[in-house]
Amino acid sequence: MQVNRLYSVLLVTALLGGGVGTTLAADAKAADPKVVEVQKMIDGAEKARKKAASVDSEWRDTGKFIKQAQAALKAGDYDKAMKLARKAEDEGNLGYQQGVSQQELHLPSYLKY
Amino acid sequence: MSISNLKLSVMAGAVTLLAGQILPLPSLAAEGSSVVAEGKAIALSRKKGNCLACHLIEGGEFPGNLGPPLIAMKARYPDKQKLRAQIWDPTAANPESAMVPFGRNKVLTEAEMDKLVEYIWTL
Amino acid sequence: MKKLLNRVAVLAIAGTVSMGAQATTPEEDRNAFNKLYKWRFSGVPMEEFVNGAYAIDPIGRENWEAIEEFPPYEPFIDEGEVMWETPFANGKGYKDCFPDGPAIAGNYPHWDKEQGMVMTLPLALNQCREANGEKPLKYKKGSITNIVAYTAFQSRGQVTNVVIPDDDPRALAAYENGRKFYFTRRGQLNFSCSTCHLQNTGMKVRTEILSPTLGQTTHWPTYRSKWGTVGTLHRRFTGCNKNIRAKPFKAQGEQYRNLEYFLTYMSNGLELNGPGARK
Ligand code: HEC
Ligand code: HEC
Repeated sequence: MQVNRLYSVLLVTALLGGGVGTTLAADAKAADPKVVEVQKMIDGAEKARKKAASVDSEWRDTGKFIKQAQAALKAGDYDKAMKLARKAEDEGNLGYQQGVSQQELHLPSYLKY
Repeated sequence: MSISNLKLSVMAGAVTLLAGQILPLPSLAAEGSSVVAEGKAIALSRKKGNCLACHLIEGGEFPGNLGPPLIAMKARYPDKQKLRAQIWDPTAANPESAMVPFGRNKVLTEAEMDKLVEYIWTL
Repeated sequence: MKKLLNRVAVLAIAGTVSMGAQATTPEEDRNAFNKLYKWRFSGVPMEEFVNGAYAIDPIGRENWEAIEEFPPYEPFIDEGEVMWETPFANGKGYKDCFPDGPAIAGNYPHWDKEQGMVMTLPLALNQCREANGEKPLKYKKGSITNIVAYTAFQSRGQVTNVVIPDDDPRALAAYENGRKFYFTRRGQLNFSCSTCHLQNTGMKVRTEILSPTLGQTTHWPTYRSKWGTVGTLHRRFTGCNKNIRAKPFKAQGEQYRNLEYFLTYMSNGLELNGPGARK
Protein backbone atom coordinates (compact mmCIF):
# COMPACT_ATOMS: atom_id res chain seq x y z
CA MET A 1 0.00 0.00 0.00
CA GLN A 2 2.60 2.48 1.16
CA VAL A 3 5.00 1.27 -1.46
CA ASN A 4 2.36 1.51 -4.14
CA ARG A 5 1.66 5.06 -3.24
CA LEU A 6 5.35 5.86 -3.40
CA TYR A 7 5.52 4.40 -6.89
CA SER A 8 2.60 6.43 -8.12
CA VAL A 9 4.12 9.58 -6.70
CA LEU A 10 7.36 8.77 -8.48
CA LEU A 11 5.55 8.04 -11.70
CA VAL A 12 3.67 11.31 -11.62
CA THR A 13 6.87 13.21 -10.85
CA ALA A 14 8.64 11.52 -13.72
CA LEU A 15 5.84 12.36 -16.13
CA LEU A 16 5.67 15.96 -15.00
CA GLY A 17 9.43 16.27 -15.03
CA GLY A 18 9.54 14.96 -18.58
CA GLY A 19 6.87 17.43 -19.64
CA VAL A 20 8.60 20.42 -18.14
CA GLY A 21 11.80 19.84 -20.08
CA THR A 22 10.32 19.67 -23.57
CA THR A 23 9.75 22.80 -25.56
CA LEU A 24 6.50 23.64 -27.32
CA ALA A 25 7.96 22.85 -30.73
CA ALA A 26 9.13 19.46 -29.57
CA ASP A 27 5.69 18.83 -28.07
CA ALA A 28 4.08 19.47 -31.42
CA LYS A 29 6.49 17.09 -33.12
CA ALA A 30 6.47 14.57 -30.31
CA ALA A 31 3.50 12.87 -31.86
CA ASP A 32 5.69 11.98 -34.85
CA PRO A 33 7.03 8.48 -34.18
CA LYS A 34 10.11 9.29 -36.26
CA VAL A 35 11.08 12.02 -33.82
CA VAL A 36 10.66 9.62 -30.93
CA GLU A 37 12.80 7.05 -32.68
CA VAL A 38 15.63 9.46 -33.49
CA GLN A 39 15.52 10.92 -30.00
CA LYS A 40 15.89 7.40 -28.65
CA MET A 41 19.01 6.93 -30.78
CA ILE A 42 20.48 10.18 -29.53
CA ASP A 43 19.73 9.17 -25.94
CA GLY A 44 21.48 5.86 -26.61
CA ALA A 45 24.51 7.72 -27.92
CA GLU A 46 24.58 9.92 -24.85
CA LYS A 47 24.46 6.83 -22.65
CA ALA A 48 27.41 5.32 -24.54
CA ARG A 49 29.34 8.58 -24.24
CA LYS A 50 28.82 8.61 -20.49
CA LYS A 51 30.00 5.02 -20.24
CA ALA A 52 33.25 5.92 -22.00
CA ALA A 53 33.67 8.93 -19.72
CA SER A 54 33.17 6.72 -16.67
CA VAL A 55 36.42 4.93 -17.52
CA ASP A 56 38.23 8.19 -18.48
CA SER A 57 38.18 7.17 -22.11
CA GLU A 58 35.81 9.54 -23.88
CA TRP A 59 36.84 10.60 -27.37
CA ARG A 60 37.18 14.18 -28.45
CA ASP A 61 34.25 14.64 -30.79
CA THR A 62 31.59 12.32 -29.37
CA GLY A 63 29.85 15.06 -27.41
CA LYS A 64 30.00 17.37 -30.42
CA PHE A 65 28.32 14.76 -32.63
CA ILE A 66 25.54 14.35 -30.09
CA LYS A 67 24.94 18.11 -29.99
CA GLN A 68 24.90 18.21 -33.77
CA ALA A 69 22.50 15.28 -33.90
CA GLN A 70 20.15 17.03 -31.50
CA ALA A 71 20.31 20.18 -33.61
CA ALA A 72 19.63 18.21 -36.79
CA LEU A 73 16.63 16.55 -35.16
CA LYS A 74 15.27 19.93 -34.16
CA ALA A 75 15.72 21.14 -37.71
CA GLY A 76 13.86 18.09 -38.97
CA ASP A 77 16.86 16.56 -40.74
CA TYR A 78 16.28 13.03 -39.44
CA ASP A 79 18.80 11.25 -41.65
CA LYS A 80 21.60 13.51 -40.57
CA ALA A 81 20.55 13.21 -36.93
CA MET A 82 20.51 9.42 -37.12
CA LYS A 83 23.86 9.24 -38.84
CA LEU A 84 25.46 11.45 -36.22
CA ALA A 85 23.80 9.58 -33.36
CA ARG A 86 25.02 6.27 -34.72
CA LYS A 87 28.54 7.63 -35.08
CA ALA A 88 28.49 9.01 -31.55
CA GLU A 89 27.18 5.76 -30.12
CA ASP A 90 29.93 3.79 -31.92
CA GLU A 91 32.52 6.15 -30.50
CA GLY A 92 31.10 5.84 -27.01
CA ASN A 93 31.19 2.05 -27.18
CA LEU A 94 34.69 1.95 -28.67
CA GLY A 95 35.99 4.43 -26.12
CA TYR A 96 34.51 2.37 -23.32
CA GLN A 97 36.08 -0.83 -24.67
CA GLN A 98 39.40 0.95 -25.01
CA GLY A 99 39.25 2.06 -21.38
CA VAL A 100 38.10 -1.30 -20.03
CA SER A 101 40.75 -3.23 -21.97
CA GLN A 102 43.40 -1.24 -20.12
CA GLN A 103 42.06 -1.38 -16.59
CA GLU A 104 45.29 -3.13 -15.62
CA LEU A 105 48.53 -1.32 -16.23
CA HIS A 106 50.95 -3.27 -18.40
CA LEU A 107 54.30 -1.57 -18.61
CA PRO A 108 55.58 -1.68 -22.19
CA SER A 109 58.32 -4.10 -23.19
CA TYR A 110 60.54 -1.30 -24.53
CA LEU A 111 60.89 0.14 -21.04
CA LYS A 112 63.64 -1.96 -19.48
CA TYR A 113 63.98 -2.11 -15.72
CA MET B 1 44.75 -15.21 -36.59
CA SER B 2 44.10 -17.12 -39.78
CA ILE B 3 40.46 -17.35 -38.87
CA SER B 4 40.12 -13.63 -38.42
CA ASN B 5 41.92 -13.08 -41.71
CA LEU B 6 39.54 -15.44 -43.36
CA LYS B 7 36.62 -13.58 -41.84
CA LEU B 8 38.04 -10.33 -43.07
CA SER B 9 38.49 -11.56 -46.57
CA VAL B 10 35.02 -13.05 -46.61
CA MET B 11 33.65 -9.76 -45.34
CA ALA B 12 35.64 -7.78 -47.87
CA GLY B 13 34.47 -10.16 -50.58
CA ALA B 14 30.90 -9.55 -49.58
CA VAL B 15 31.45 -5.80 -49.62
CA THR B 16 32.98 -5.99 -53.08
CA LEU B 17 30.11 -8.10 -54.31
CA LEU B 18 27.57 -5.70 -52.93
CA ALA B 19 29.42 -2.75 -54.39
CA GLY B 20 29.46 -4.53 -57.71
CA GLN B 21 25.72 -4.99 -57.60
CA ILE B 22 24.85 -1.52 -56.52
CA LEU B 23 27.35 0.67 -58.32
CA PRO B 24 27.09 1.05 -62.05
CA LEU B 25 30.45 0.06 -63.51
CA PRO B 26 31.30 2.07 -66.60
CA SER B 27 34.49 0.25 -67.52
CA LEU B 28 36.66 -1.90 -65.31
CA ALA B 29 39.95 -0.13 -66.09
CA ALA B 30 38.58 3.36 -65.53
CA GLU B 31 36.98 2.27 -62.31
CA GLY B 32 40.24 0.74 -61.11
CA SER B 33 42.25 3.89 -61.63
CA SER B 34 39.68 6.18 -60.05
CA VAL B 35 39.53 3.94 -57.00
CA VAL B 36 43.29 4.23 -56.70
CA ALA B 37 43.06 8.01 -57.05
CA GLU B 38 40.42 8.16 -54.35
CA GLY B 39 42.53 5.91 -52.17
CA LYS B 40 45.48 8.23 -52.65
CA ALA B 41 43.40 11.22 -51.62
CA ILE B 42 42.35 9.34 -48.47
CA ALA B 43 45.95 8.38 -47.67
CA LEU B 44 47.27 11.92 -48.05
CA SER B 45 44.43 13.84 -46.42
CA ARG B 46 45.34 15.03 -42.93
CA LYS B 47 41.79 14.51 -41.75
CA LYS B 48 41.51 10.95 -43.10
CA GLY B 49 44.51 8.63 -43.43
CA ASN B 50 47.27 11.13 -42.77
CA CYS B 51 49.71 8.31 -43.49
CA LEU B 52 52.44 10.87 -44.20
CA ALA B 53 52.47 11.81 -40.54
CA CYS B 54 54.45 8.63 -39.95
CA HIS B 55 55.41 7.11 -43.32
CA LEU B 56 57.47 8.14 -46.27
CA ILE B 57 55.36 7.81 -49.40
CA GLU B 58 56.92 8.58 -52.74
CA GLY B 59 55.80 12.01 -53.89
CA GLY B 60 54.31 12.96 -50.49
CA GLU B 61 55.51 16.10 -48.74
CA PHE B 62 56.89 16.36 -45.18
CA PRO B 63 56.78 12.71 -44.20
CA GLY B 64 57.37 11.62 -40.61
CA ASN B 65 59.47 8.57 -39.80
CA LEU B 66 57.67 6.82 -36.97
CA GLY B 67 56.81 3.95 -39.28
CA PRO B 68 58.76 2.35 -42.16
CA PRO B 69 58.63 3.82 -45.69
CA LEU B 70 55.65 2.51 -47.64
CA ILE B 71 57.43 0.95 -50.62
CA ALA B 72 57.35 -2.36 -52.47
CA MET B 73 53.99 -3.13 -50.92
CA LYS B 74 53.01 -5.86 -53.40
CA ALA B 75 56.25 -7.69 -52.77
CA ARG B 76 55.89 -7.41 -49.02
CA TYR B 77 52.16 -8.08 -48.97
CA PRO B 78 51.37 -10.53 -51.77
CA ASP B 79 48.07 -11.06 -49.96
CA LYS B 80 46.10 -7.83 -50.18
CA GLN B 81 43.92 -8.85 -47.26
CA LYS B 82 46.96 -9.01 -44.99
CA LEU B 83 47.77 -5.46 -45.97
CA ARG B 84 44.20 -4.46 -45.24
CA ALA B 85 44.34 -6.19 -41.86
CA GLN B 86 47.55 -4.31 -40.94
CA ILE B 87 45.90 -0.99 -41.65
CA TRP B 88 42.54 -2.01 -40.15
CA ASP B 89 44.15 -2.82 -36.78
CA PRO B 90 47.94 -2.84 -36.44
CA THR B 91 47.65 -3.68 -32.73
CA ALA B 92 46.35 -7.15 -33.63
CA ALA B 93 49.81 -8.11 -34.92
CA ASN B 94 51.72 -5.90 -32.49
CA PRO B 95 49.95 -4.82 -29.29
CA GLU B 96 52.55 -2.09 -28.82
CA SER B 97 52.09 -0.70 -32.32
CA ALA B 98 52.27 3.07 -32.62
CA MET B 99 50.01 3.02 -35.67
CA VAL B 100 46.39 4.13 -35.61
CA PRO B 101 43.79 1.30 -35.87
CA PHE B 102 42.10 2.99 -38.81
CA GLY B 103 39.36 0.38 -39.30
CA ARG B 104 38.78 -0.83 -35.76
CA ASN B 105 38.39 2.68 -34.38
CA LYS B 106 36.39 3.79 -37.42
CA VAL B 107 38.78 6.56 -38.40
CA LEU B 108 38.03 5.37 -41.93
CA THR B 109 34.87 3.66 -43.15
CA GLU B 110 35.07 0.18 -44.66
CA ALA B 111 34.55 1.69 -48.13
CA GLU B 112 37.39 4.15 -47.54
CA MET B 113 39.56 1.29 -46.28
CA ASP B 114 38.98 -0.61 -49.51
CA LYS B 115 40.02 2.32 -51.68
CA LEU B 116 43.00 3.09 -49.49
CA VAL B 117 44.27 -0.47 -49.72
CA GLU B 118 44.01 -0.40 -53.52
CA TYR B 119 46.24 2.68 -53.54
CA ILE B 120 48.76 1.47 -50.96
CA TRP B 121 49.12 -1.77 -52.89
CA THR B 122 50.37 0.22 -55.90
CA LEU B 123 53.29 1.63 -53.90
CA MET C 1 56.62 -33.78 -21.83
CA LYS C 2 58.90 -31.26 -23.44
CA LYS C 3 55.87 -29.27 -24.47
CA LEU C 4 54.61 -29.29 -20.94
CA LEU C 5 57.96 -28.09 -19.62
CA ASN C 6 58.00 -25.30 -22.16
CA ARG C 7 54.60 -24.27 -21.08
CA VAL C 8 55.60 -24.18 -17.47
CA ALA C 9 58.62 -22.07 -18.37
CA VAL C 10 56.50 -19.64 -20.36
CA LEU C 11 54.04 -19.35 -17.52
CA ALA C 12 56.81 -18.76 -15.05
CA ILE C 13 58.32 -16.02 -17.19
CA ALA C 14 54.96 -14.42 -17.84
CA GLY C 15 54.33 -14.53 -14.12
CA THR C 16 57.52 -12.76 -13.15
CA VAL C 17 57.22 -10.19 -15.90
CA SER C 18 53.74 -9.09 -14.98
CA MET C 19 54.46 -9.19 -11.25
CA GLY C 20 57.64 -7.21 -11.74
CA ALA C 21 55.91 -4.76 -14.03
CA GLN C 22 53.28 -3.85 -11.48
CA ALA C 23 55.54 -3.72 -8.47
CA THR C 24 58.09 -1.13 -9.56
CA THR C 25 58.94 1.71 -7.21
CA PRO C 26 59.01 5.33 -8.37
CA GLU C 27 62.79 5.30 -8.20
CA GLU C 28 62.92 2.18 -10.37
CA ASP C 29 60.60 3.86 -12.85
CA ARG C 30 62.80 6.94 -12.98
CA ASN C 31 65.95 4.88 -13.48
CA ALA C 32 64.31 2.93 -16.29
CA PHE C 33 63.25 6.16 -18.02
CA ASN C 34 66.73 7.63 -17.63
CA LYS C 35 68.29 4.47 -18.99
CA LEU C 36 66.08 4.49 -22.07
CA TYR C 37 66.79 8.13 -22.91
CA LYS C 38 70.51 7.85 -22.22
CA TRP C 39 70.67 4.89 -24.56
CA ARG C 40 68.49 6.53 -27.20
CA PHE C 41 70.38 9.85 -27.09
CA SER C 42 73.80 8.68 -26.00
CA GLY C 43 75.58 11.91 -26.94
CA VAL C 44 73.22 14.21 -25.06
CA PRO C 45 74.35 15.31 -21.59
CA MET C 46 71.72 14.84 -18.87
CA GLU C 47 71.33 18.55 -18.13
CA GLU C 48 70.38 19.21 -21.78
CA PHE C 49 67.06 17.38 -21.48
CA VAL C 50 65.45 20.47 -19.96
CA ASN C 51 65.45 21.92 -23.48
CA GLY C 52 62.99 19.39 -24.85
CA ALA C 53 63.15 18.63 -28.55
CA TYR C 54 65.92 21.22 -28.94
CA ALA C 55 68.26 18.94 -27.02
CA ILE C 56 68.03 16.43 -29.86
CA ASP C 57 67.21 18.54 -32.91
CA PRO C 58 70.12 20.70 -34.09
CA ILE C 59 68.09 22.55 -36.75
CA GLY C 60 65.20 23.42 -34.45
CA ARG C 61 67.75 24.46 -31.86
CA GLU C 62 69.22 27.18 -34.05
CA ASN C 63 65.84 28.86 -34.45
CA TRP C 64 65.15 28.46 -30.78
CA GLU C 65 68.44 30.04 -29.72
CA ALA C 66 67.66 33.01 -31.93
CA ILE C 67 64.24 33.33 -30.27
CA GLU C 68 65.73 33.10 -26.78
CA GLU C 69 67.88 36.18 -27.51
CA PHE C 70 64.73 38.28 -27.23
CA PRO C 71 62.61 36.05 -25.02
CA PRO C 72 58.96 36.31 -26.00
CA TYR C 73 57.89 35.45 -22.45
CA GLU C 74 59.57 38.47 -20.85
CA PRO C 75 56.53 40.79 -20.79
CA PHE C 76 54.60 38.07 -18.97
CA ILE C 77 57.25 37.86 -16.26
CA ASP C 78 57.02 41.62 -15.79
CA GLU C 79 53.26 41.52 -15.48
CA GLY C 80 53.57 38.68 -13.02
CA GLU C 81 55.90 40.73 -10.88
CA VAL C 82 53.32 43.49 -10.73
CA MET C 83 50.72 40.93 -9.64
CA TRP C 84 53.05 39.61 -6.99
CA GLU C 85 53.69 43.09 -5.60
CA THR C 86 50.10 44.35 -5.77
CA PRO C 87 47.93 43.70 -2.69
CA PHE C 88 44.49 42.13 -3.02
CA ALA C 89 41.38 44.13 -2.13
CA ASN C 90 41.74 43.01 1.48
CA GLY C 91 45.24 44.47 1.73
CA LYS C 92 47.01 41.11 1.79
CA GLY C 93 48.88 39.62 -1.13
CA TYR C 94 50.61 36.59 -2.58
CA LYS C 95 53.56 37.43 -0.35
CA ASP C 96 51.48 36.65 2.71
CA CYS C 97 50.54 33.20 1.41
CA PHE C 98 54.08 32.43 0.27
CA PRO C 99 56.48 34.00 2.75
CA ASP C 100 59.44 32.21 1.10
CA GLY C 101 58.37 33.40 -2.36
CA PRO C 102 58.55 34.20 -5.17
CA ALA C 103 61.19 31.53 -5.84
CA ILE C 104 58.85 28.67 -4.95
CA ALA C 105 58.42 26.65 -8.15
CA GLY C 106 60.81 23.99 -6.89
CA ASN C 107 58.35 23.07 -4.12
CA TYR C 108 55.73 21.91 -6.63
CA PRO C 109 54.07 19.61 -7.29
CA HIS C 110 53.94 18.07 -3.84
CA TRP C 111 51.67 15.86 -1.84
CA ASP C 112 49.32 17.87 0.36
CA LYS C 113 48.49 15.56 3.21
CA GLU C 114 45.84 17.78 4.72
CA GLN C 115 43.84 18.15 1.53
CA GLY C 116 44.72 14.62 0.45
CA MET C 117 45.75 15.65 -3.05
CA VAL C 118 48.62 16.65 -5.27
CA MET C 119 49.23 20.37 -4.91
CA THR C 120 50.51 22.24 -7.94
CA LEU C 121 51.78 25.80 -8.15
CA PRO C 122 48.81 27.22 -10.12
CA LEU C 123 46.38 25.57 -7.72
CA ALA C 124 48.24 26.91 -4.67
CA LEU C 125 48.23 30.41 -6.18
CA ASN C 126 44.49 30.23 -6.72
CA GLN C 127 43.86 28.89 -3.24
CA CYS C 128 45.74 31.91 -1.97
CA ARG C 129 43.51 34.20 -4.00
CA GLU C 130 40.33 32.54 -2.83
CA ALA C 131 41.40 32.57 0.80
CA ASN C 132 41.70 36.33 0.39
CA GLY C 133 38.35 36.86 -1.29
CA GLU C 134 39.69 37.10 -4.85
CA LYS C 135 38.30 35.22 -7.82
CA PRO C 136 40.40 32.25 -8.93
CA LEU C 137 42.19 32.63 -12.27
CA LYS C 138 41.53 30.42 -15.28
CA TYR C 139 44.06 27.62 -15.51
CA LYS C 140 45.20 27.37 -19.11
CA LYS C 141 45.94 30.91 -20.28
CA GLY C 142 45.55 34.51 -19.26
CA SER C 143 46.88 36.13 -16.11
CA ILE C 144 47.62 32.81 -14.36
CA THR C 145 50.52 32.50 -16.78
CA ASN C 146 51.90 35.89 -15.70
CA ILE C 147 52.16 35.03 -12.04
CA VAL C 148 53.47 31.54 -12.79
CA ALA C 149 55.98 33.02 -15.25
CA TYR C 150 57.25 35.37 -12.58
CA THR C 151 57.65 32.66 -9.95
CA ALA C 152 59.21 30.33 -12.54
CA PHE C 153 61.75 32.95 -13.54
CA GLN C 154 62.62 33.63 -9.91
CA SER C 155 63.02 29.88 -9.36
CA ARG C 156 65.45 29.26 -12.20
CA GLY C 157 68.31 27.08 -11.11
CA GLN C 158 66.33 25.19 -8.48
CA VAL C 159 66.45 21.46 -8.94
CA THR C 160 63.40 19.25 -9.54
CA ASN C 161 62.91 17.19 -6.43
CA VAL C 162 59.49 15.62 -6.19
CA VAL C 163 59.05 13.64 -3.01
CA ILE C 164 56.56 10.86 -2.51
CA PRO C 165 56.16 10.76 1.25
CA ASP C 166 55.86 7.30 2.74
CA ASP C 167 53.75 8.40 5.69
CA ASP C 168 50.64 8.64 3.49
CA PRO C 169 49.82 5.79 1.12
CA ARG C 170 47.55 8.09 -0.87
CA ALA C 171 50.65 9.89 -2.18
CA LEU C 172 52.02 6.77 -3.82
CA ALA C 173 48.54 6.00 -5.12
CA ALA C 174 48.41 9.45 -6.77
CA TYR C 175 51.80 8.82 -8.37
CA GLU C 176 50.64 5.44 -9.62
CA ASN C 177 47.46 6.95 -11.06
CA GLY C 178 49.60 9.47 -12.91
CA ARG C 179 51.80 6.68 -14.20
CA LYS C 180 48.75 4.71 -15.30
CA PHE C 181 47.48 7.77 -17.15
CA TYR C 182 50.81 8.13 -18.93
CA PHE C 183 50.77 4.57 -20.24
CA THR C 184 47.06 4.38 -21.14
CA ARG C 185 46.03 4.60 -24.76
CA ARG C 186 43.30 7.13 -25.38
CA GLY C 187 41.28 8.74 -28.10
CA GLN C 188 40.23 7.56 -31.51
CA LEU C 189 43.87 7.50 -32.60
CA ASN C 190 44.70 5.15 -29.72
CA PHE C 191 47.90 6.69 -28.35
CA SER C 192 49.33 6.92 -24.87
CA CYS C 193 51.76 9.63 -23.82
CA SER C 194 54.31 6.85 -23.80
CA THR C 195 53.71 5.95 -27.46
CA CYS C 196 54.99 9.33 -28.57
CA HIS C 197 57.30 10.58 -25.86
CA LEU C 198 58.92 7.30 -24.76
CA GLN C 199 58.58 4.61 -27.44
CA ASN C 200 59.08 7.02 -30.35
CA THR C 201 60.99 9.86 -28.79
CA GLY C 202 63.35 11.44 -31.32
CA MET C 203 61.22 10.26 -34.24
CA LYS C 204 59.27 12.63 -36.43
CA VAL C 205 55.51 13.00 -36.73
CA ARG C 206 55.36 15.03 -39.92
CA THR C 207 58.04 17.61 -39.17
CA GLU C 208 57.71 17.55 -35.37
CA ILE C 209 60.43 15.77 -33.43
CA LEU C 210 58.99 14.02 -30.40
CA SER C 211 60.62 15.25 -27.21
CA PRO C 212 61.60 12.93 -24.36
CA THR C 213 59.40 12.91 -21.28
CA LEU C 214 62.53 13.63 -19.31
CA GLY C 215 62.70 17.42 -18.92
CA GLN C 216 59.15 18.13 -20.05
CA THR C 217 58.15 19.73 -16.77
CA THR C 218 61.04 22.10 -16.08
CA HIS C 219 60.09 25.17 -18.11
CA TRP C 220 56.48 26.19 -17.51
CA PRO C 221 54.73 28.30 -18.42
CA THR C 222 55.92 28.22 -22.01
CA TYR C 223 55.57 30.68 -24.84
CA ARG C 224 54.47 28.81 -27.94
CA SER C 225 54.58 30.43 -31.33
CA LYS C 226 51.57 28.33 -32.24
CA TRP C 227 49.60 29.80 -29.32
CA GLY C 228 51.04 33.27 -29.84
CA THR C 229 51.21 33.52 -26.07
CA VAL C 230 52.27 31.81 -22.90
CA GLY C 231 50.38 28.73 -21.69
CA THR C 232 50.48 26.38 -18.72
CA LEU C 233 51.59 22.75 -18.56
CA HIS C 234 47.99 21.61 -18.31
CA ARG C 235 47.16 23.54 -21.47
CA ARG C 236 49.86 21.48 -23.18
CA PHE C 237 48.35 18.26 -21.77
CA THR C 238 45.02 19.39 -23.21
CA GLY C 239 46.62 19.90 -26.62
CA CYS C 240 48.33 16.51 -26.66
CA ASN C 241 45.05 14.83 -25.65
CA LYS C 242 43.07 16.64 -28.34
CA ASN C 243 45.61 15.74 -31.03
CA ILE C 244 44.94 12.06 -30.49
CA ARG C 245 41.18 12.79 -30.54
CA ALA C 246 40.69 12.13 -26.85
CA LYS C 247 38.48 14.39 -24.78
CA PRO C 248 40.86 16.44 -22.65
CA PHE C 249 40.46 16.46 -18.89
CA LYS C 250 39.91 19.50 -16.71
CA ALA C 251 43.00 21.63 -16.19
CA GLN C 252 44.04 21.18 -12.54
CA GLY C 253 41.58 18.32 -12.16
CA GLU C 254 42.71 15.16 -10.43
CA GLN C 255 43.85 13.29 -13.56
CA TYR C 256 46.16 16.03 -14.82
CA ARG C 257 47.52 16.82 -11.35
CA ASN C 258 48.43 13.17 -10.78
CA LEU C 259 49.96 13.05 -14.25
CA GLU C 260 52.03 16.12 -13.39
CA TYR C 261 53.16 14.44 -10.17
CA PHE C 262 54.40 11.38 -12.06
CA LEU C 263 55.87 13.35 -14.96
CA THR C 264 57.75 15.76 -12.71
CA TYR C 265 59.09 12.89 -10.62
CA MET C 266 60.62 11.44 -13.79
CA SER C 267 62.57 14.70 -14.14
CA ASN C 268 63.96 14.67 -10.61
CA GLY C 269 67.49 16.05 -10.59
CA LEU C 270 66.95 18.38 -13.57
CA GLU C 271 67.18 22.15 -13.19
CA LEU C 272 64.17 24.43 -13.49
CA ASN C 273 64.53 26.77 -16.48
CA GLY C 274 61.12 28.38 -16.91
CA PRO C 275 59.52 30.14 -18.54
CA GLY C 276 60.29 28.40 -21.81
CA ALA C 277 59.87 29.08 -25.51
CA ARG C 278 58.75 26.47 -28.02
CA LYS C 279 57.40 26.54 -31.54
C1 HEC D 1 51.10 7.51 -35.92
C2 HEC D 1 51.97 6.90 -36.86
C3 HEC D 1 51.39 6.11 -38.02
C4 HEC D 1 50.41 6.51 -38.90
C5 HEC D 1 49.60 7.80 -38.91
C6 HEC D 1 50.32 5.46 -39.88
N1 HEC D 1 51.21 4.47 -39.56
FE1 HEC D 1 51.49 2.75 -40.63
N2 HEC D 1 52.90 2.15 -39.28
C7 HEC D 1 53.30 2.86 -38.17
C8 HEC D 1 54.28 2.07 -37.44
C9 HEC D 1 54.97 2.51 -36.15
C10 HEC D 1 54.46 0.88 -38.15
C11 HEC D 1 55.40 -0.30 -37.79
C12 HEC D 1 54.66 -1.56 -37.52
C13 HEC D 1 53.78 -1.46 -36.28
O1 HEC D 1 54.23 -1.00 -35.23
O2 HEC D 1 52.60 -1.83 -36.39
C14 HEC D 1 53.56 0.95 -39.30
C15 HEC D 1 53.44 -0.04 -40.25
C16 HEC D 1 52.66 0.05 -41.39
C17 HEC D 1 52.58 -0.94 -42.41
C18 HEC D 1 53.38 -2.23 -42.43
C19 HEC D 1 54.67 -1.93 -43.10
C20 HEC D 1 55.56 -3.11 -43.24
O3 HEC D 1 56.67 -2.87 -43.63
O4 HEC D 1 55.13 -4.21 -42.97
C21 HEC D 1 51.72 -0.50 -43.36
C22 HEC D 1 51.34 -1.18 -44.64
C23 HEC D 1 51.24 0.79 -42.91
N3 HEC D 1 51.83 1.09 -41.71
C24 HEC D 1 50.33 1.54 -43.61
C25 HEC D 1 49.83 2.75 -43.17
C26 HEC D 1 48.83 3.50 -43.88
C27 HEC D 1 48.21 3.12 -45.19
C28 HEC D 1 48.59 4.61 -43.14
C29 HEC D 1 47.59 5.73 -43.42
C30 HEC D 1 46.23 5.31 -43.53
C31 HEC D 1 49.44 4.54 -41.97
N4 HEC D 1 50.17 3.40 -42.02
C32 HEC D 1 49.47 5.50 -40.97
C33 HEC D 1 52.87 4.11 -37.81
C34 HEC D 1 51.88 4.83 -38.45
C1 HEC E 1 50.79 11.66 -31.19
C2 HEC E 1 51.94 11.94 -30.43
C3 HEC E 1 51.80 12.56 -29.05
C4 HEC E 1 51.16 12.03 -27.96
C5 HEC E 1 50.36 10.75 -27.88
C6 HEC E 1 51.43 12.95 -26.88
N1 HEC E 1 52.18 13.99 -27.30
FE1 HEC E 1 52.98 15.42 -26.14
N2 HEC E 1 53.79 16.31 -27.78
C7 HEC E 1 53.69 15.82 -29.07
C8 HEC E 1 54.35 16.73 -29.98
C9 HEC E 1 54.49 16.55 -31.48
C10 HEC E 1 54.86 17.78 -29.18
C11 HEC E 1 55.66 19.00 -29.66
C12 HEC E 1 57.09 18.59 -29.87
C13 HEC E 1 57.70 18.10 -28.60
O1 HEC E 1 58.11 18.93 -27.78
O2 HEC E 1 57.70 16.88 -28.37
C14 HEC E 1 54.50 17.47 -27.81
C15 HEC E 1 54.86 18.24 -26.71
C16 HEC E 1 54.59 17.91 -25.40
C17 HEC E 1 55.02 18.67 -24.26
C18 HEC E 1 55.85 19.95 -24.31
C19 HEC E 1 57.31 19.64 -24.36
C20 HEC E 1 58.16 20.85 -24.19
O3 HEC E 1 59.37 20.72 -24.28
O4 HEC E 1 57.63 21.94 -23.94
C21 HEC E 1 54.58 18.03 -23.15
C22 HEC E 1 54.77 18.45 -21.71
C23 HEC E 1 53.84 16.88 -23.60
N3 HEC E 1 53.87 16.83 -24.97
C24 HEC E 1 53.23 15.98 -22.77
C25 HEC E 1 52.43 14.93 -23.22
C26 HEC E 1 51.66 14.10 -22.34
C27 HEC E 1 51.62 14.19 -20.85
C28 HEC E 1 51.01 13.21 -23.14
C29 HEC E 1 49.97 12.16 -22.73
C30 HEC E 1 48.78 12.73 -22.16
C31 HEC E 1 51.39 13.48 -24.51
N4 HEC E 1 52.25 14.53 -24.51
C32 HEC E 1 50.97 12.75 -25.59
C33 HEC E 1 53.10 14.65 -29.46
C34 HEC E 1 52.42 13.81 -28.63
